[in-house]
Amino acid sequence: MQRLENLFMNHYKKIIIIPILLLVFSLVVFVIQAQKGSILTKDISLQGGTSVTITSEQGVNIDELQESLENSFPNSDILVRELADVTTGKKIGILIEATNIKNEELQPFLEKHFETKFTSDSYSVEEIGASLSASFFKELRLAMIFSFLFMSIVVFITFRKIVPSLTVILTALTDILVTLAIVSIMHLRISTAGIAAFLLLIGYSIDTDILLTTKVLKRTESSLFARIYSSMKTGLTMTITAIAAVTVGLFSNSVVLQQIFTIILIGLIVDVISTYLGNAPALIWYCKKKNIQ
Amino acid sequence: MIKKWRVILLLLFLILSFIAINPQFNKEGVAVRHIAQNSTAAFAGMQSPSSQLSATAYERIIKIDNKKISSLNDYHEALASSSSNLSIKIETDKNEYALLKSEDLGITVSEIAGSNLKKGLELQGGSRVLLKPQDAISEQQRDDLLAVMEQRLNTYGLSDIRIRKADDLFGNKYVSVEVAGASKQEVKDLIASQGKFEARIGEEVVFEGGEKDVTFVCRNDGSCSGIRQCTEQGSGYLCTFAFQISLSENAAKRHAQITDKFDINISEEGREYLDKPLDLYLDDIFVESLQISADLKGVEATNIEISGPGIGNTQEEATQQAIQQMNKLQTILLTGSLPVKLDVIKLDSISPVLGRAFLSNAIIVTLFALLAVAIIIFLKYRKLKISIPILITMLSEIIITLGFAAFIKWNLDLASIAGIIAAVGTGVNDQIVIVDEILSGEQFYRWKEKIKKAFFVIITAYATLVAAMLPLFKAGAGLLTGFALVTIVGVSIGVFVTRPAFAAIIEEVMEE
Repeated sequence: MQRLENLFMNHYKKIIIIPILLLVFSLVVFVIQAQKGSILTKDISLQGGTSVTITSEQGVNIDELQESLENSFPNSDILVRELADVTTGKKIGILIEATNIKNEELQPFLEKHFETKFTSDSYSVEEIGASLSASFFKELRLAMIFSFLFMSIVVFITFRKIVPSLTVILTALTDILVTLAIVSIMHLRISTAGIAAFLLLIGYSIDTDILLTTKVLKRTESSLFARIYSSMKTGLTMTITAIAAVTVGLFSNSVVLQQIFTIILIGLIVDVISTYLGNAPALIWYCKKKNIQ
Repeated sequence: MIKKWRVILLLLFLILSFIAINPQFNKEGVAVRHIAQNSTAAFAGMQSPSSQLSATAYERIIKIDNKKISSLNDYHEALASSSSNLSIKIETDKNEYALLKSEDLGITVSEIAGSNLKKGLELQGGSRVLLKPQDAISEQQRDDLLAVMEQRLNTYGLSDIRIRKADDLFGNKYVSVEVAGASKQEVKDLIASQGKFEARIGEEVVFEGGEKDVTFVCRNDGSCSGIRQCTEQGSGYLCTFAFQISLSENAAKRHAQITDKFDINISEEGREYLDKPLDLYLDDIFVESLQISADLKGVEATNIEISGPGIGNTQEEATQQAIQQMNKLQTILLTGSLPVKLDVIKLDSISPVLGRAFLSNAIIVTLFALLAVAIIIFLKYRKLKISIPILITMLSEIIITLGFAAFIKWNLDLASIAGIIAAVGTGVNDQIVIVDEILSGEQFYRWKEKIKKAFFVIITAYATLVAAMLPLFKAGAGLLTGFALVTIVGVSIGVFVTRPAFAAIIEEVMEE
């Protein structure tokens, strides 16, 4: 603890560089990805198309199906995946996501490919028009901005001090942007649920920052670093439990749940760095300036 | 004293949740979900359950002809093997009915629900369409639209329908229709098509669908509706359905005026017909042409027989198609057309098999997530008297959130399950804050103040989470409302009910 105290109390300005570098890194990623096309790889719920799940316990040659679909629908972006229940190891079926296609075209093709007629028991389909999905995306972007704004207002009302409040908000922003950059590099196909996960992350990631800032600014019972250290212990317990729960969530067989949990998992890990290497040293800096012990 | 009350409040909420969820241990029998209008069952006095009824309150069929019914299989077997050829005796938990035997009794049944929790589309299987009116409509028009749709689906005989309004952040108006256990084609046909029915002679409209012109439609009665004949045609089969309808006085008068103008032709078989047929159009698409018998010329005909075809590769297929077509046409004639034209902008159809796979996996994942949290908590505090209250609080939160969902009849979908897990996660975080605050060696503060300090953090975190989730309520035409609602309800229950109780319990335990 003594070494940690030395590190934090004497080198706080240097420590902050780490999250700043992360932030710069994510901005660079955004620029590169934007030049390549778009920052986010959107799934069909955000760009329109059809997603089909064929339930079957038999194995299917996925590559062959992918190739034959791509040849027949050259204007469509197609992804074929096998679905399995991780908890039981049983095959559930295959998932086909295709942009720019209606089920009316896709189903007959698949029925010909598999030489069978699908029933509503074996064939699940989600189809969404391009204009609706575009409107979803716009709305969710708007929702995210509002969400961030509302959260910022609550933070300002709570702490009533500009610098600490801004630090908390900046930390949250770092969480979102860095997570977004990682998701962008991973080429994760983001759905409406994925964006909902980002909103949840806004609320989730600042728990630890609120705890930290409250302990540092509203208490005086022990030394500054002791307060930071105790909030760090509590905050890390919180994050580790959340990470444990979310990691289990990755074993869901639903693509929707998998995506929500993946995004929150990345966000939580980023949050550990941004809170304790960003928010904490920034608060030390602030306290030293304001002579808060 | 106050401490005690917090725990009592928690217990009270838990009891209320159990009542709302109403888990069923006796699942004998089958539940009556729908009774078709004018069916044998309806004549015997059986009634469709109201849509307000909770899932465990449906009437249960317990015995058929004194044979005990425990499952859907028993039910179908009992009906098929019914020895008497005149009547069937159905005993339910509420009453006894004697039904005249007919091909279709008009009863739709399902397994007994295990609880009042409603599974959403993804977990149960079924179809959902999101519809957008082609032209801007007023709120009043949308209400009318919903009413006709509801009537149409009910008339068609679908149960478990959920029609609701949906708006988005830009003020667009949508209608979302969810039907469990129906195929996407049925829903699309019934809901998305405007269903403008017109019977024309030449260019003139004799009558339209809806109660203004059509006063009665014969359904589920073999004497005036059914499949009339099936013939082999080329490589397939063609079956013809026919049913009678009654026209209103005005429509009958129009019929007299219009038919009066036409001449009479004699067909090859020597029968006399008017030289123009009665053409049936659905949504301006030609359906069928019916010859008008000469003796109807200039007559105020109030009874008219409507017929049409069904085709298929086998006779069975053709019959099925004809029955479906007939049912659709009867439905549209009864309910009239929708006030606006609609576009299907999103269509989902989830197989019940896939839904079951999702549900069982979601339950397992949630249980393992709880276990993972329990292990971490125990490793951290190494004291059962801390870990167990945390676990109990987590479980209570889940139960109360589910109780609330059952109470407001919310359909739980995958996003809602993610919301429950998220809320429980926040809950655990808060409990860690409380425990750490109490465990912190600072003798400086008294209990009360320590808890108060913990709650400052908890309330702020709560406020920010709720603030962040609020915009989701409306975004995406209501498709993410479940996620936002469950998360907010879950964390609210946590902050206002379970957490205060937890603080009281942990205080009690630690003071010992």
